[in-house]
Amino acid sequence: MTATDSSTGVKDAAEIVLAVSGLGVGYYPRAGERWEVVAEVNLNLRAGRTVALVGESGCGKSITAAALGGLLPRNMQRDRGELRWAAGVDARPGRGLAYVFQDPGECLNPVFTIGNQIREVLPPEDFRDASARLTSLLRTVGFTEPERVLASYPHQLSGGMQQRAMLAMALAGRPRVLVADEPTTALDVTVQAKILQLLGQLQRQENLAILLITHNLGVVAEMADEVHVMYAGHIVESGPVALLRNPQHPYVQGLLQALPRLHGEAGRLVGIPGTVPPLGRRPTGCGFHPRCALAREICRTQEPPWRESQGRGVACWARGDRGWA
Amino acid sequence: MSAPLLTVDNLRVTYRVGRRRVAAVKGVSFSVARGQCLGIVGESGSGKSSLARAILALEPAATGQVIFAGEDVLKMSRAARQVFRRRAQMVFQDPLGSLNPRLKIGAALAEVLRVHGLARNRREAAAQTAAWLATVGLDAEYATRFPHELSGGQRQRVNLARALCVGAEFLVADEPVSALDVSVQAQILNLLKTLQTERSITWVLIGHDLAVMRHMADELVVMQAGDVMERGQAADILASPQHPYTRELVAAVPDVDRALQRRA
Repeated sequence: MTATDSSTGVKDAAEIVLAVSGLGVGYYPRAGERWEVVAEVNLNLRAGRTVALVGESGCGKSITAAALGGLLPRNMQRDRGELRWAAGVDARPGRGLAYVFQDPGECLNPVFTIGNQIREVLPPEDFRDASARLTSLLRTVGFTEPERVLASYPHQLSGGMQQRAMLAMALAGRPRVLVADEPTTALDVTVQAKILQLLGQLQRQENLAILLITHNLGVVAEMADEVHVMYAGHIVESGPVALLRNPQHPYVQGLLQALPRLHGEAGRLVGIPGTVPPLGRRPTGCGFHPRCALAREICRTQEPPWRESQGRGVACWARGDRGWA
Repeated sequence: MSAPLLTVDNLRVTYRVGRRRVAAVKGVSFSVARGQCLGIVGESGSGKSSLARAILALEPAATGQVIFAGEDVLKMSRAARQVFRRRAQMVFQDPLGSLNPRLKIGAALAEVLRVHGLARNRREAAAQTAAWLATVGLDAEYATRFPHELSGGQRQRVNLARALCVGAEFLVADEPVSALDVSVQAQILNLLKTLQTERSITWVLIGHDLAVMRHMADELVVMQAGDVMERGQAADILASPQHPYTRELVAAVPDVDRALQRRA
């Protein structure tokens, strides 16, 4: 299988902060047994750009995110591929890369004030002026009364405010890469819109590389510069965000047809038959073939090769015979 | 249009918080015609789930009127309530949480049939169970499975079978697809639509997703903080929202087409 670097054809001068190549994660249920959870993930995270990793639950997107920062559960290991940081980046957890997760209420400790929790993660260089740094962090994420928020306990804040506080905590170590794993999924749409706007603003201010993990194609279309769609642990299609206009992989096409829209025809939706295969039961050949209308014999037996054209890539036997672009 | 199956008039639901009473639903009125889908959309705290429970007489603190097929649900006798419980059913968001983990699917459905006196013996129950599973698109073999062996979409199908098997003609579905993946969500939404058109099921769809509402609801009620902000034909509301809150809501939905167009 060839290297799956979708960005080779994309003209983008922005600095690559973190290059992920050939990443694979194995699950070790017991000694001597490895199940493949994620395979062959290639991502270039660039300063000031957002890369979205999209897929349904169980496709491996959160595991990929966890693997980047060494947050995998004990029985899983990043045992394939490598992470290459740009020269001069402090790759320690919290410094090179920081996370924001889906449920801020779960991530914050209920018995400590917001101020105490953020103070805890401040890097040594900020110890001297800790209070000033805390106040400025909270202002950065849009709080107009930072002192009041610093003295608050998590339950005194709304979901949106909690997520802002989590963002402040993530930014405390001045990371170069922010991994946002479903950052707005637990929020109401109006709050979601504000947090997404804030993310964009922070990205411009801090020149952050953002890896956005989400199942929501609408959020992807709003936020991402580049999209990678995952299915059953593999990236099946990637390219600039505009690929959502004319996706090539049958799974991505299916996802878009299944998506309720605000515009266009409001008739019946087209679901994808079947469900995502559970961990360890990835079908042979192309992982999507049992649900695919275009599946042929070769799809059942051989994994499709990664094909690239004009900055986009796709792994599908039905594409690329005569140039799919 | 036929007479409404459900008319809700000035419905209020209040909860006691400390010494105060807080109104979750503040005098809401609407009606649903037979065979139609009414969507109730709102964010968390809008009172949409309290409203859903009140419609099915699951909320003792509700005042006002809920007229179902000519009878006030909130003032029904015990006997009438029992019949109502057969005709009107709830479908919940979390399909796993609403199934008994220790009962096989077949046994769970048979229990419902037995409670409502619809199956006299095991063989009748099994036959009916198989038929209802087929209606919701599941093979009869699923009767022998436990809920944890099913996927989210399959569980939600089972929940629909459980609601329908007692002869329900009216469903209140509270966020029935928000826990499901997009590809599966479409399957379940299509199934709900099929039940509506082929079995004349009338239903109230509670949700937060305006795009889902656009595909499913005939009429739409937009709620915020216990009040109705806007009410009307779903297509009209989404095409030209009148209330500022509805406009904010429509503008906030992350939409693929709109975003790609804006960024192009």
